[in-house]
Amino acid sequence: MKSIYILLLIAVTATAQKVVRYDLYVRDTLVNFTGTQKRAIAVNGQIPMPTLTFTEGDIAEIYVHNEMDEETSLHWHGLFLPNKEDGVPYLTQMPIKPHTVYKYTFPIIQHGTHWYHSHSGLQEQIGMYGSFIINKKTDDPTFRKGIDDLPTVPVILSEWTDMKPHNIHRLLHNASDWFAIKKGTTQSYGEAIRQGHFFTKVVNEWKRMNAMDVSDVYYDRFLMNGKNESQLSQFKGGDKVRLRISNGGASSNFWLTYAGGKITVVANDGNDVEPVEVDRLLIAVSETYDVVVKIPADQTAYEFLATPEDRTKSASLYVGSGIKQLVEPLPKLKYFEGMKMMNGMMKMNGDLDDMGMSMSLNQMDMNVVMYPEITGETVKKANSSHENHTKEGALQYNSNALSDIVTLNYSMLKSTIKTTLLKDAPVKELRFELTGNMNRYVWSLDNKVVSETDKILIKKGENVRIVLYNGSMMRHPMHLHGHDFRLINDQGDYAPLKNVVDIMPMETDTIEFTANAEGDWFFHCHILYHMMSGMGRIFSYENQKSNPEIPNPKAAQRKLFADDRMFHFMAENDFATNGNDGEAMYQNTRWSIGTEWRLGYTDMHGYETETHIGRYIGKMQWLMPFIGFDWRYRKMEMGEYEKNLFGQTNTKNERAVFSAGVNYTLPMLIVAQAEVFTDGNFRFQLERMDIPLSKRLRMNLMWNTDKEYMAGLKYIIGKNFGLTTHYDSDMGVGFGLNLNY
Amino acid sequence: MYPFKNIMMAIFLLLSVRSQSQVKNDSTENIKIYGNCSMCKDNIEHAGNEKNVAVVIWDKNTKMASVTYDSKKTNTDQILKRIALAGYDNSSFLAPQSSYDKLPDCCKYVRELKKAEPKSEMVSTSHKVHNEAAQEGPFQRIYDAYFALNDAFIQSDTEAVAAKAKAFLDAVSAVKMESLSEQEHTIWMKVNSVLTAHSGAIATAKGIDKQRESFKGLSKNLYELLKTAKGATPVYYQYCPMADANWLSKENTIKNPYYGSQMLSCGKTVETIP
Repeated sequence: MKSIYILLLIAVTATAQKVVRYDLYVRDTLVNFTGTQKRAIAVNGQIPMPTLTFTEGDIAEIYVHNEMDEETSLHWHGLFLPNKEDGVPYLTQMPIKPHTVYKYTFPIIQHGTHWYHSHSGLQEQIGMYGSFIINKKTDDPTFRKGIDDLPTVPVILSEWTDMKPHNIHRLLHNASDWFAIKKGTTQSYGEAIRQGHFFTKVVNEWKRMNAMDVSDVYYDRFLMNGKNESQLSQFKGGDKVRLRISNGGASSNFWLTYAGGKITVVANDGNDVEPVEVDRLLIAVSETYDVVVKIPADQTAYEFLATPEDRTKSASLYVGSGIKQLVEPLPKLKYFEGMKMMNGMMKMNGDLDDMGMSMSLNQMDMNVVMYPEITGETVKKANSSHENHTKEGALQYNSNALSDIVTLNYSMLKSTIKTTLLKDAPVKELRFELTGNMNRYVWSLDNKVVSETDKILIKKGENVRIVLYNGSMMRHPMHLHGHDFRLINDQGDYAPLKNVVDIMPMETDTIEFTANAEGDWFFHCHILYHMMSGMGRIFSYENQKSNPEIPNPKAAQRKLFADDRMFHFMAENDFATNGNDGEAMYQNTRWSIGTEWRLGYTDMHGYETETHIGRYIGKMQWLMPFIGFDWRYRKMEMGEYEKNLFGQTNTKNERAVFSAGVNYTLPMLIVAQAEVFTDGNFRFQLERMDIPLSKRLRMNLMWNTDKEYMAGLKYIIGKNFGLTTHYDSDMGVGFGLNLNY
Repeated sequence: MYPFKNIMMAIFLLLSVRSQSQVKNDSTENIKIYGNCSMCKDNIEHAGNEKNVAVVIWDKNTKMASVTYDSKKTNTDQILKRIALAGYDNSSFLAPQSSYDKLPDCCKYVRELKKAEPKSEMVSTSHKVHNEAAQEGPFQRIYDAYFALNDAFIQSDTEAVAAKAKAFLDAVSAVKMESLSEQEHTIWMKVNSVLTAHSGAIATAKGIDKQRESFKGLSKNLYELLKTAKGATPVYYQYCPMADANWLSKENTIKNPYYGSQMLSCGKTVETIP
């Protein structure tokens, strides 16, 4: 903490155009957040990366010493700087090669709370994030007495998982429900029935929705400045402290609450806003908020609590010295209530129906039905013995008594200065729908990922207005590089300046900015795994000078596009008493290459494999035409043959055929498959995999016109294995062990 | 069938008896935890215990707890934090006020450790406003009755709504025509009968849906009245697109009387009447 003050002191006394140099040594490291050692990346030996502090008017010189065996890069989030310093590999610079030194340098022309992070692959998840603080000059006309002269503490929020980020990414794309199991949010039929929501679950699956997600990934720990719990004991009763908070989490939004009373929001995304008092606020991935908290009483430290949106765990910072006053933890979400609401808003074609409500600016949190602190706890079937002693029963369900909570939303943010754009500049208006589906973890704009689109050309000097509609079922914090935009709300000329806009499902928000900084600028969803899936666009200025950092633009672009074109592999095999069943798949945004096999232990039981190569069509990707190859061998009695429902015969003895067909996902998530083979045979099949019966129990069902059928149960024990039993028309009853990758 | 909690309690009691042998790498500390009765004892031990990791035994006479824990897996702070979250102050943590408030009456102990905080300004001002408001304007009683009715709608409490609607009706009939200015008289003549009809309908209607239907008209006419004869405090005219109806509120924060808890924060302020 001391070093922050020293830096602060230097920064405050600095004169204009002072060069401030930082050296950052990026190294592979091992950390232990959970009891097991895991790989992480540390900068100058620490996670998060060191806080970089400047004063407006300085010149920053940052030397990155890449001492790892892999490439890296650093992006300065929220900063106005020359495009070649922006730190997006293959777009604004080539990646920093292993064991080399790279210098970033740019003038500091703004102030406020910002942060910096790696823009290479998934490095941000394992330690490459840090605060970037720019102080106002003391003679700045916008200097606010009572706010800008308060003691400040940078706070960067993040999350930790023992799982490798690459593996997380793969599991997300394979629709694994392992994270839901870890979070306790499977939303199975068993749980639905127990909570009286059986019908809700049926409608949900009828509308082809999987279990509802609030955030994608399960994390082991949540951190504030790299620690789960820490204390600012240098402050005493009566003090006010300004926390400069950045959300450096890869994919978690955080609720912020404080035990010492109201939280005063004074700045957002590096820009001053009129102070506004709230009881809580949600900080979306990559946003920054400056908040002032008061320490009401002496010898007491008040808990400042950051709770991820899924409310699995939390991180605490105690402000003050002495005994720690806790704040009430946020109660568990009511997922079935949320599911019920989603059911009401989902059309059969996968579009959302906002029922005529014009929603924007985070004002109507459609998840509000899931918040027990507002709507009361989930009704438990059996009354606990305690309730007889207290008379809180009625109170507990009294939404009004429990909901005197002021929650920040974007319409409450008002800039301290006029933010209107130049009146007579030409206006370019763009519209985007945020699109995607959870099932295959495809995230896009207008159903196109970065590599499927051209750069969007804008002209220097024009006003760019972007209307964003979120038609997907997840929130997306959309971040624009190199510019601040006005977020149009009801504050008129004083609309707040931001560089991230978090958009909830079914919301429409309008942002506008002056095109005043030449270059190629990334505009993307800041949830790391959404960005890597291709949810973004590139804005490029017309007739700009070429970037000297990118010697071969074509080759660089291919590398840039490789991120969302990446294929993800998955495989599983069921080692059962009656044979082996399994599949392997290799998939990306649009394509799927998959092989299934069924291997008996004797010739009588036979051996067969089916391979399909298909392409997913449409926004929801329910349709997949494919071509395939089928091979099977089964020793049968002489003269025996099988007949399918259409009277076509099939010996199954040594059959090798090509096929063409189509998969279509029906309501209830049943996959219908129609396939015609080169020997003239036709097959129609219905299959439903992974019906969640309880938290860890899954059921599989299959039937086809070859008169084959199968029913199976799987109990999931670990991330990669489970116990199975199934009955198969070819191979009979079996018990086994399922292994998957 | 035994309630789940009782079974858990029994298990924990069993555990605590055989505790010493269960926890590995154990270290024991004696810590003061505030509480009163044997019910507190159950709650404190239940909150603090963790299978094979931590065992808490609390004495209600001395208020001292012996805390035994596996020092490789946890520490006293983690255990004490859980106990504080259950409502019991201790040497390291103060319970959240809400958790303390939820304690059964017999468990409410004197919170010696909690330092007095200066009273929050919010509470004191809102009371003051209320007292002043009662003095002003010929229609103030009607406005107050309306806001009470509105609150009942927010809570979706049919009986309270009926009762508050009756109170509103009383306030309407208590208006003294002779004390009104000319302007006030004109508007009063216009809305008087409508307000009576709507509030009467709310008082007698069966079910919250029908009551809400009449509330729409009531709100619209009260808005007309308020526009002409302003109240003591600013009033916010708010709109719910789902119900396609307006209502009036004393606060800018949205609390939707047409949907209550289902869509509590749904709606927007369309006009502020100073």
